[in-house]
Amino acid sequence: MAADLTRLRNIGISAHIDSGKTTLTERILFYCHKIHRMHEVKGRDGVGATMDSMELERERGITISSAATNVSWGDHTINIIDTPGHVDFTIEVERSLRVLDGAVLVLCSVGGVQSQTITVDRQLKRYKVPCVAFVNKLDRVGADPVKVKDQLREKLGRNAVLLHLPIGLEDKHQGIIDLITAEAVYFDGAQGEVVRREAIPADLRPEAARARQDLLDAVSMFSDELTEAALAGRETPDLIIEAARRGTLSRELTPVLIGSAYRNKGVQLLLDAIVAYLPNPAEVENTAYDLDHGGKEIVLRSDPEAPPVALAFKLEEGPYGQLTHIRVYQGAVRKGAELLNSRSRSKLRVGRLVRMHADSMEEIEEAAAGDIAALFGVDCQSGDTFVAPGLNLAMSSIYVPEPVISLAVFPTEKKSADSMGKALRRFTKEDPTFRTHVDPETKETIIQGMGELHLDVYVERMKREYRVAVSTGKPQVAYRESIAQRAEFDYIHKKQTGGAGQFGRVMGFIEPQPEKPYEFVNAIRGGSIPREFIPACDKGFQAALKKGRLIGFPITGLKVTLTDGAAHEVDSSDLAFQAAAKGAFWQAYAKAKPYALEPVMKLSVEGPAEFVGSVFASINQRRGVIVSSVEDGLFARVDAEVPLSEMFGYSTVLRSLTQGKAEFTMEFLKYARVPAQVAEELIALHKDKIEKEP
Amino acid sequence: MVIEDLVKRSPLRVLERSIHGGLGKGNIGVLASRKGVGKTACLVHLATDKLFQGKPVIHVSYASRVDHIITWYEDIFRELARRIEIEPAAEIHDELVKKRVIMNFNQEGMRTEQVLRSLEAMIRDGRFAAETIIVDGFSFPQSSADDLRRFKEFAGRMDLELWFSASLKAPDPLFDEQGIPFELKPCLDGIDVLITLRHWNDRVQLRLVKDHGFSSPPELRLSLDPTTLLIAEP
Repeated sequence: MAADLTRLRNIGISAHIDSGKTTLTERILFYCHKIHRMHEVKGRDGVGATMDSMELERERGITISSAATNVSWGDHTINIIDTPGHVDFTIEVERSLRVLDGAVLVLCSVGGVQSQTITVDRQLKRYKVPCVAFVNKLDRVGADPVKVKDQLREKLGRNAVLLHLPIGLEDKHQGIIDLITAEAVYFDGAQGEVVRREAIPADLRPEAARARQDLLDAVSMFSDELTEAALAGRETPDLIIEAARRGTLSRELTPVLIGSAYRNKGVQLLLDAIVAYLPNPAEVENTAYDLDHGGKEIVLRSDPEAPPVALAFKLEEGPYGQLTHIRVYQGAVRKGAELLNSRSRSKLRVGRLVRMHADSMEEIEEAAAGDIAALFGVDCQSGDTFVAPGLNLAMSSIYVPEPVISLAVFPTEKKSADSMGKALRRFTKEDPTFRTHVDPETKETIIQGMGELHLDVYVERMKREYRVAVSTGKPQVAYRESIAQRAEFDYIHKKQTGGAGQFGRVMGFIEPQPEKPYEFVNAIRGGSIPREFIPACDKGFQAALKKGRLIGFPITGLKVTLTDGAAHEVDSSDLAFQAAAKGAFWQAYAKAKPYALEPVMKLSVEGPAEFVGSVFASINQRRGVIVSSVEDGLFARVDAEVPLSEMFGYSTVLRSLTQGKAEFTMEFLKYARVPAQVAEELIALHKDKIEKEP
Repeated sequence: MVIEDLVKRSPLRVLERSIHGGLGKGNIGVLASRKGVGKTACLVHLATDKLFQGKPVIHVSYASRVDHIITWYEDIFRELARRIEIEPAAEIHDELVKKRVIMNFNQEGMRTEQVLRSLEAMIRDGRFAAETIIVDGFSFPQSSADDLRRFKEFAGRMDLELWFSASLKAPDPLFDEQGIPFELKPCLDGIDVLITLRHWNDRVQLRLVKDHGFSSPPELRLSLDPTTLLIAEP
């Protein structure tokens, strides 16, 4: 337990997929004595890196889960929160960014700043996460850490400054020059575990002196004391580190470290830098939404005696049941204490409380503000907030984006239907952007998510973790319907077929309202519809919204106002008013100029500049709008907005257009009106489908 | 107010009248001043005026980051929308954005041939039917007369008008007695319309110093409003 918050760091390691993040994490665990052997990511030894807990990740060499692990470096404790690298897992990325106080941005010294780096960088900036950069893979052919530092400045607008210089690159990479202490650092021993510091080799001294001056110039901005000392030639490593720390914490400086995790070089210096430059939990201001006061943000106190507030940021299914990873933001979570889940309003008692290490767990009595721990046997969802009874706070916004794509899944064997259900229940708990339901018409199981890859990963996980072989249908875009103008309704629902009749009359209007999906206003004066039937009207309208009559998709962005109506003493009922509302809605809907909406994605393509023409053409053919292109010598990046429906199979197309040299990332941007010609096709398709139905 | 009125009443109509109906296809116009006087604001206003007329614009930039340029457009649009209360602003804005592409080039080591190749790819492969191209941050002193000639040839071949900014960096005096910047004299032949921006009584005055082949260009009577950064009549 880190009794002293100043000795605790909660950090994430963020990176482009191939920059060697997992190997780096593995080496960190090794040097912190958490594991006793090293493996490679795409493990020839079949074990794989320790942090990659899921088989799928092992196979693809990528990391999706954000498990936390706790290590010690010197007298400091570091919690490493493994952040997902891919943009399709936005909710997971954002939730893990919420949990960490600082980050290591890993870059490949050959590839430099790539499109995913830009995405990750944007997220770090959005969540105001201070970070240090680590330029990895100095042993690779074409390694150029200085170029990568320049890219951090030019492409990401970061005030990046080198703390190190390489001693040799590619296969001649031997060690690192520490510019702060002006020493050469070598990593001896079979696994680089012995750090040896020496004088800088003579041939590198002029270059090191220049780079050191650049470093001093950059960090002096943050310390007058250092400026004065440097002018007198009396700057000390401590003064430089203190100034660089200030710059990093205010996010005005990005220290750049270098190394080769694979060759066991530079990792210990990175650990020193994590401790030296990244904030401890007390240096970060955390806020929660006060649900009693309209979601107003309030600042939390790290005081361990304050009432506890903790966020469940990750769920994991373990051999002992559900494991809930939490971060404590205020007060302390103690074994045996009672907490409240502020979303479900259910109470829970803290049973087993553990701290997670890479390969084991340690029972603890309490986790205080700033700590990361895990709970056993708690029923909750990812993103839930646990508070002391009496508080009503939420750590994460209640807003979850609507899924934009869906896919039918079928178990290929009948007996695996149960396991499939189990897997889907698990996934929906972990990830609120992943949803599932059974289509009432086709009886198919439908999964929904934020992109093609998002769903692919869950289909794969079903196969691997739950041994459910599934086949899938064609991906379907989640279209929406909305209305363009106000329209009135006046509808009477009346049935008299012996026995009790049904009667209800509703009058009013519907109108566009882009801010909210749906709003119901009861503007009836004088009780022409008795109060008890009003909720039934609302329910009837909502039932109609589920499936529009234009293209058969949910209707969104409108407001219904009820102005008048009529009821019958005997024949009126909830059912009658529900039916009346439904009928009224369709009466008005036809007159309200309904139109179709489609999800539009933000697309970013990156590759050699010689292919920009093909990329422009491919975007244009997909009804895309090019926002910008940036050319920097041989490389180009094209940003565009493209409808999701046009993007299926784009990775294959892009590969063949650019000989595999370009890559792209995509994330949901907005819903936009479907152009008339495309809308006609959708309308015709829907008509066809209805006519075929019995 | 409807968009047509906005276009009709724009002070840029004054500019067009002064330069005999506009810059014209195949031609190159240049706005010249010292750094920070307001060239980019003028260029973005010129571009936004084209966008309001439904004409697509490519904005080529050698210096700023894309997000900075977008911010310029947002500011100018908001200013115009606010002053004349365009309705519905959000929809018009979205339509406008679709007609604008920003192409950013890092000038160091970027050859004009490559810039033109990418521009042509945008127009042909990307089917982006631009009529006007804005070129901001092109370094006249660092480029040869050949570079401007290539742009001019491109403008003629592709049926485009090109508006450049030229940042004047030489020591004073900047201008000769006709108001022509000394720095631009070597490439004056390649420039069809030349406008300078100079501080004058708290405002930035636009002066027409070259107008196609016409001698003694008229007084422009336009300036840059320092608070809104829009081109305005005095």
